[in-house]
Amino acid sequence: MISSRIHIAADSVCDLPAELASSLGVSIIPTYVNIGEESIADDGVGLDRERYYRELPRMAAQPTTAAPSPGDAAAFYQRILDAGAEHIVSIHVPESLSGTLNAMRLGAETAGMDKITLVDSLQLTFGIGLQVWAAAELALTGAGLNDILERIQRVRDHCKVYAIIDTMEYLRRSGRVSSLVASLGGLLRIKPVIRVDHGDIEPIGRMRAWSRAEQRLRELTRAEAPLERLAVLHIANRVGAESFLESIRDIAPSDTLVIETTPTLGTHIGPGSIGVATLNRNWRR
Amino acid sequence: MAKTDIDGPALKRLLGAGVKGVARNVELINELNVFPVPDGDTGVNLFHTLSRAWEELEAATDCRAGAVAERFAYGALMGARGNSGVILSQLLAGFADSLLEAETLTSPSLAAAANAAVKRAYAAVSHPVEGTVLTVAREAAESLDEQMPIEEMMQTLLTRAQAALDETPNQLPILKDAGVVDAGAMGLVCFLEGMYEASCSAPVGMALTAPPRTRSAPPSPAPVETYGYDVQFLMRGAGLDIDAIRNDLEQLGWSVIVAGADGVIKVHIHADNPAPPLDYAVKTGAALDDIVVENMELQAAAVRRQSGQAAKSAPLAVIAVVAGDGMGRVYRDLTCALVIDGGAGKNPATQDFVAAINALDADEIIILPNNRNIELAARQAAEMTEGKRVAIVPTRTVAEGVSAMIAFGDGRDAGLAADATVAAMREAALATTTIEITRATRSTTLRGIDIRQGDCLAIIDGRIHAAVADYEGALLDALKAAGGDSKELATLYYGADLSPAAAEAMIALLSQDFPNLEYEAVYGGQALYPLIVSVE
Repeated sequence: MISSRIHIAADSVCDLPAELASSLGVSIIPTYVNIGEESIADDGVGLDRERYYRELPRMAAQPTTAAPSPGDAAAFYQRILDAGAEHIVSIHVPESLSGTLNAMRLGAETAGMDKITLVDSLQLTFGIGLQVWAAAELALTGAGLNDILERIQRVRDHCKVYAIIDTMEYLRRSGRVSSLVASLGGLLRIKPVIRVDHGDIEPIGRMRAWSRAEQRLRELTRAEAPLERLAVLHIANRVGAESFLESIRDIAPSDTLVIETTPTLGTHIGPGSIGVATLNRNWRR
Repeated sequence: MAKTDIDGPALKRLLGAGVKGVARNVELINELNVFPVPDGDTGVNLFHTLSRAWEELEAATDCRAGAVAERFAYGALMGARGNSGVILSQLLAGFADSLLEAETLTSPSLAAAANAAVKRAYAAVSHPVEGTVLTVAREAAESLDEQMPIEEMMQTLLTRAQAALDETPNQLPILKDAGVVDAGAMGLVCFLEGMYEASCSAPVGMALTAPPRTRSAPPSPAPVETYGYDVQFLMRGAGLDIDAIRNDLEQLGWSVIVAGADGVIKVHIHADNPAPPLDYAVKTGAALDDIVVENMELQAAAVRRQSGQAAKSAPLAVIAVVAGDGMGRVYRDLTCALVIDGGAGKNPATQDFVAAINALDADEIIILPNNRNIELAARQAAEMTEGKRVAIVPTRTVAEGVSAMIAFGDGRDAGLAADATVAAMREAALATTTIEITRATRSTTLRGIDIRQGDCLAIIDGRIHAAVADYEGALLDALKAAGGDSKELATLYYGADLSPAAAEAMIALLSQDFPNLEYEAVYGGQALYPLIVSVE
């Protein structure tokens, strides 16, 4: 069911929970995890996140991740347009880190470029989700394209994504951010606190102990208060995420989400990690 | 008076005799180490400082007294090792500056120069401590009267210095506890004694031979570590003499580790050319196995490429003094630009720091001395540097240095200016507690702790905390005293003589008493200290 004139679309790296996406009328195109010969869509059906992360450390070969194909993208857009949407704003994982946006562009050329506006979110996980959420809320009011794009920009300017990487092993195996890995060294066990900004993952603190890293994450999160929205993110560490949320309960909005991050991203970051995506209350101004 | 003036050649002879005075007492001075830990090195440091001074003087052609003093002082400044070496070099520099270009040394100029020497040395130390070489030099210099004939001056200097030396235990309680006089001051007395003996025994102008190297003279210091090759192999065969092989290989490279038993010896060496160590090993008759040769320069270049750093220039670079090949790797891994192989028992000289500073293409340089006794030589090098800003973060242990290196990385990521980075590094070092575990080299009583030779000593931030029978007991005791209950992480850097399994077993033991700590075992490869533990 497509109700608004402008339809919001995104890829599954945005980590918008399925119920929320559905109630906001957002269409999500799955990205893929390749385990051996098998390519599994992160569509909430074929890939059980909990089970995947439980098995990841024991997998003989490191899984890889993949963007949707241009054909997938074209079909995805066509379905939305066929359902009556006048225009699609399609918000995605950064081009600097993934081939998704390129595939979506190729798909859009097939489906009708003039009806689709592609947006590089320059963010990851719920940092994309926050942009998608705000855009969809505005789209539901019948707002125009420019207003929606401007809102996405403002949310992007006021949202932050921070995380503690529990072990550098998965980043090292993945090879996607080799400069980050090299700058953090490999001989000592370092738990980096990272920030996602401008489509890049930047280390902002080399922590040696988990408790210290969590303390730093807490300080960074508190510095973003007052919060309009908050998601506590985790990879196979729900207990850690929930206890972290308890420690910042006083600044957490009532609708704070606890989200297990998509395997498309989590494969590169590794189990154990926790993080936050925040949206400061000043974003509307 | 003129007939007793000392001309340049005579001054050269006296200085040479002073060097001999120290050279013949190297072991004696070493043994005056206050702490019963295996790094008593004041004698060695003074000997190296003076040997370098003598080399400089021998190469000089200007034979005016002022020029002789200036060359000798310059050599000492460059060769200065350890805090005592630095202070001695400052005494010599003050002495030389006072003489300027004088043809001869007269009674008034000697008296003035001696006092100038003392003034310069006091100024070089940020917090002068009485009961050290400074006190002895001052009391000796103050005793001079410019009316005295020079021969009498030489004798007065020596007798007053000896009297002041005997008083040092009354000025520094730690000396009294240990039952020793100050080692650096002893060195100065030996130097003055050599000079005095020469002044009364031999005619002026006697040909001078080079100072002898005593049996105890240490091998020449490891210079600044270049990249070179990392060579590893196993030697298999009966009757291999590990100690002899280690000694021989140390002549062929650096970061040498030779370990093993039962006909299998593991060799690890860094060398500019990988061939001589392999050639040597083959010629011992051993069968070689598991030979690995890696080009460390190419590896380093690969890391630089990977990390997107230009190989040529970084605005801010770190030089660290580190013992142990594993520890060196940790520092390089944390992007330390240059590692000088050194530490307790092996103090780099001022000239090693100068060479390291010159070798780096960076505008601003930070030095981590990682040892109290190395800090002054680093400072001296910093002061002698022109065109680059050099800051010292006064780390006392390699563990503090690692914390500082981690802060350095954070500072670079945050785009901090050099001053702010240095401040953050200093703070990180201070927040780190270091426990060092070693064996007592002799029996003594210190701060109420009875220590028997061979005891395991736990040293917390440079203070001896406990002396017990085994490493485990020493570490448990120290971790408790270091507030292990309220800390977060203990990193065990295990030395060349401890196996990874032993380090893991230690962690298993520690985690029974300190279950809330996180632990990590890292190969340090350092000698003398089986364990260096960083507690954060």
